[in-house]
Amino acid sequence: MAGKLEIQWSPIKNKFITWGSEVCLYEIEQLKEQSTPLIKLSPLTGAHLLATNNNYHYVKCIDIYPKSDKDLLLAIGQANGKIVLSTFGASVYDSQLLPGKELVPRHQRQCNAISWNTTESNKIVAGFEKNRSDYSVLLWDINKSPSHGENGPIRPIVEYGLSDTTHRKCKVLATGNNNKQIRILDFRDSAKQVNHTITKAVHGISVNPYNERFLASYVDHQVCVWDTRNFEKPLLILPHSKQLSKIAWCTTKQNLLGILQRDLPSLNLYDIQQTMVGNEEVEPSVIERIVTPGLHNITSFSWHPNDENRFLAISLAGHIVDYFVFDRITLNWTTNANLVWTCGRKTLKYITEANPLYDSLQDISQKIKLRACKGYGLKDELCKNGEMVDDIMLRNVWNRLHLSDKLVEDGTLRGSNSKHPGVRSVLKIDGATVKSESVSISWAETSGVNCAGSARMYKHEDREKALYLCGWYFDKDTASLTEFLDELEKEQAFTRAAAIAVFNLKIKTAIEILTRGSENCIPGTNLNVVAMALAGFSDDKNSMWRQFCASPKTKLNDPYLRAMFSFLTAENNNYDNILYENGMTVDDRVAFACIFLPDNKLNDYLKSLTMTLIYEGNLDGILLTGNTQEGVRILQKYLDSTGDIQSTALIAVRSFNTELLQDLGKDWINSYRSLLDSWQLWHERAMFDIMLSSQRPNDKPPQQVYISCNFCGKSISAFMQGLTRGRGTFPRMGGANKLKMSSCPNCRKPLPRCAICLMHMGTTTGDQCTSDGDGTKLVDFSHWFTWCQTCRHGGHASHMVHWFKQHLECPVTACQCRCFSIDAV
Amino acid sequence: MFEVQEINAEHKDLIHDVAYDFYGQRMATCSSDQYVKVWDQNNDGKWSLSSSWKAHSGSVWKVTWAHPEFGQVLATCSFDRTAAVWEEIVGENPGPGERGTRYWVRRTNLVDSRTSVTDVKFGPKTQGLILATCSADGIIRIYEAPDVMNLSQWTLQHEVQCKPSCSCLSWNPSFSKIHPPMLAVGCDDTSAATGGKVFIYEFSENSRRWTKIETISSITEPVHDLAFSPNLGRSYHVLAIATKDVRILNLTPVNDNNSIQSGITKLDVQTAAQFEDHLSTVWRVCWNITGTILASSGDDGYVRMFKMNYINSWKSVAALKAGLPTPPISQTARYIKLGAISQPREVPWH
Repeated sequence: MAGKLEIQWSPIKNKFITWGSEVCLYEIEQLKEQSTPLIKLSPLTGAHLLATNNNYHYVKCIDIYPKSDKDLLLAIGQANGKIVLSTFGASVYDSQLLPGKELVPRHQRQCNAISWNTTESNKIVAGFEKNRSDYSVLLWDINKSPSHGENGPIRPIVEYGLSDTTHRKCKVLATGNNNKQIRILDFRDSAKQVNHTITKAVHGISVNPYNERFLASYVDHQVCVWDTRNFEKPLLILPHSKQLSKIAWCTTKQNLLGILQRDLPSLNLYDIQQTMVGNEEVEPSVIERIVTPGLHNITSFSWHPNDENRFLAISLAGHIVDYFVFDRITLNWTTNANLVWTCGRKTLKYITEANPLYDSLQDISQKIKLRACKGYGLKDELCKNGEMVDDIMLRNVWNRLHLSDKLVEDGTLRGSNSKHPGVRSVLKIDGATVKSESVSISWAETSGVNCAGSARMYKHEDREKALYLCGWYFDKDTASLTEFLDELEKEQAFTRAAAIAVFNLKIKTAIEILTRGSENCIPGTNLNVVAMALAGFSDDKNSMWRQFCASPKTKLNDPYLRAMFSFLTAENNNYDNILYENGMTVDDRVAFACIFLPDNKLNDYLKSLTMTLIYEGNLDGILLTGNTQEGVRILQKYLDSTGDIQSTALIAVRSFNTELLQDLGKDWINSYRSLLDSWQLWHERAMFDIMLSSQRPNDKPPQQVYISCNFCGKSISAFMQGLTRGRGTFPRMGGANKLKMSSCPNCRKPLPRCAICLMHMGTTTGDQCTSDGDGTKLVDFSHWFTWCQTCRHGGHASHMVHWFKQHLECPVTACQCRCFSIDAV
Repeated sequence: MFEVQEINAEHKDLIHDVAYDFYGQRMATCSSDQYVKVWDQNNDGKWSLSSSWKAHSGSVWKVTWAHPEFGQVLATCSFDRTAAVWEEIVGENPGPGERGTRYWVRRTNLVDSRTSVTDVKFGPKTQGLILATCSADGIIRIYEAPDVMNLSQWTLQHEVQCKPSCSCLSWNPSFSKIHPPMLAVGCDDTSAATGGKVFIYEFSENSRRWTKIETISSITEPVHDLAFSPNLGRSYHVLAIATKDVRILNLTPVNDNNSIQSGITKLDVQTAAQFEDHLSTVWRVCWNITGTILASSGDDGYVRMFKMNYINSWKSVAALKAGLPTPPISQTARYIKLGAISQPREVPWH
């Protein structure tokens, strides 16, 4: 394919032409799987080649007859200056003898531009190279002209113009002449020049289809945008780095100019907006965008005549792309998970909270909202809160807080002044070292296994307390252990039960558990085999059992089984494999450490474990720290990594002291409250506030409204408060016979009247509380006094509601206040 | 795959911004057609147009709501070099028993800028009613309404010279008293030579001035949007940036002696994530309420979502096709129909 390839949409939908050495007609179709091979233009569309026309070899420019509706009529401008009307095969124009008609200028020279009049579609205009004795802009009427050449109103414009390109619209023609100027010609009045400007940018003149005042043209590296009302200098100059090859205003969008530079894979689009500042017009705003349709060396493009943002582009190699420019999308998210985004100028699209997308995302915001609605965190019993969440870590935290609370209450953890002590404070690790006594218990004694050796355990009062905290409160007798294990078995946690049994040196029990487990067990883990292996336990250092258990134990999938065998095969009391077994719960690991580690090792282990858990933001760490400063750090870290402000705030409020939390806690509480508010979960927020004030009995909310006398200005509210406490001037009026006060207790002036019934505030009305017969309530809400915040007139609530059903203005005579509308704000 | 609802906005030109109020029940849109439209959601969740007015004499770039505590208040900014504050008031002469028609009045026009005002945002409500604007010539202005009952009075509190062509700004929304007021500003200047394009400013209580505390030097491409995530008690700040890709930065205040003495926060800046999923320019970013999901839009015509799974672990979780112009096939059908009625005058009488 030789020569520069051009492309243009036709007025017929879905058809376009390309031309270079030959003119081709294509039709666009939706891509389908089984359809005939199409030339793929985009992921959705392809094209058929309908026809080619290679009668003309030196095509310089083409314009399509704008009224073509069934067949295309082309005006082809050639290098020899001939303009030929042509079609693709037989057409409706045959009867008018149009196809094949030639329009020839007097002197042969190259035709540079050609354009149909879009309104008076029988007129065609062409621009030519300069010639000393002929005009360079010629206008024909194809209907009038006989078969030979020029006819009709051909008006010479410039004797020697090199008219480069023309674009014609509504009887006004803009021409670029002689590389020097742009002229606007009006052909209605014998080609009068109505306007011109001197510039070098005379190429590719394009008229903005939405506003004829604006022209665009280019030269070399520069695009100029012109306002014809102020034609002396360009409105805008857009410099580019490369030679320009085509510019075109978008036909479907206002003020969008497409610019193509030579040898680039991209197009530049400019959204040009006029702006007025005061009465003066300032330089227009320009938003530049670069789109890459995915072609190399684009040689031409054409905006779709009707489809917004669609254009065709053709490359040097003849590849064509059908491209949609996506408008800049703006988007926003509501507090209630409504996500909205824009599509161009007309449409907003949104998805709501109910969208299945959110279910699949499993975001914390949704969980928080759901939990808040269920009353999460507000239940009196701490562990009940844990039941409301599906997150195991959170459930454990609530259970743990519940447990430590209970243990402190029943006195098991006497000696700690905190409500939720941690293992570390119970062990007094941070204080003086405690000497625990070490006890050796022989295997044979407890497990009934044929073993000679013994296991070394450490005991101390504090360690026992710590074990209680870990949930291992069965140290004292075997019965509670069995109970605990049965419980675990019920939960199908056979391996955990077995491991704990082994840690308590009850190998026989462990074997039994595993056997039972294998009967109703999870497929894949063969607990029977494990039980058999366990049965062969021998603590002889050189035994076959030990040697062969050492290696396969790492291949066990279950962490508890792994830990169990690690324990049984441990050498020199090195239990690292168990202590750092992340599959085991923190409780179990800590409990294990409390039994089997000597003081100094236990100390180190708990310290390092605390650090790890803080770093991970693992709430299990609260077991170790309790409600201390380190506990706060864990909470902060947990919040940082999950965004779960709800659990953080709730745990902080329920179990941490205000002094410890300081500003941080306030921040959490406020964040959570504002979150609830933005979801309009005001009830839930109020419940949270109630819980908050029950935890912090000293922070009473301040009174919001005070009533003072209109005359003497003394506070009535304060007086009333005094009454309810049984003090004040009229103590006898307090108590059961509640006071109805209708005058100021100080100056005896009457209180304000209800604007409707004219009764004084505080007057006992006859119709109160008749229906419910509930004597504890003096008046029901409808008889409360209410007033407008603006004009300060008011009366009984029910009267006011009734009044404003029909009125907008204040019921007080001569008051113009629009109470009803105003206090709605 | 997803059910997507549509609202017919009918702006006459490109919509530049969409803003929701605090509760997500009102929405404001602004466009190059110089209009601002306000939409209300009814109880069924349907949106309807409640007001539409010509707000500026140039493209309106951004629109934003104030906290409802200050009333129904909007701020807009425009290419016409101004920013404006609007308040909804109840009109006169309503019918009996009805509420008056509501309409928006311009309370003030902030005309200090000599160039296009590219962004406007209300500060966190704990600071009172304050407004920050930034303009194409790179000046950040902080306004304050000293009397929240009188929205027509705004005083220009601070003028900070940033780099030219500021395109966007974002307040750090933290409620906490621990963090002083903080602003992030982005520039869409196209030359990489001018260095970092995102700047963090902080208000220092001691000097009573806004000080630049950080320049994000890793971002040299033009920045089109940025957004601080809702803080909700986190110990660090998260900033999302729309540039040639989506960036998520963690800004952690460092409490060393130096920063305590100078009273200026030092930030530890970490890039938590960088997503090139759009394969093209990214235009906008926004956060969900907990700051755990980020949504972005780009030139590829997709809205994409990124979710946090752990502190620095972000994952691309969803891509929503923003919507094509009507597919070509339906137009073919329409064309045939049009062709059939070639001469409408021949339609017979009944």
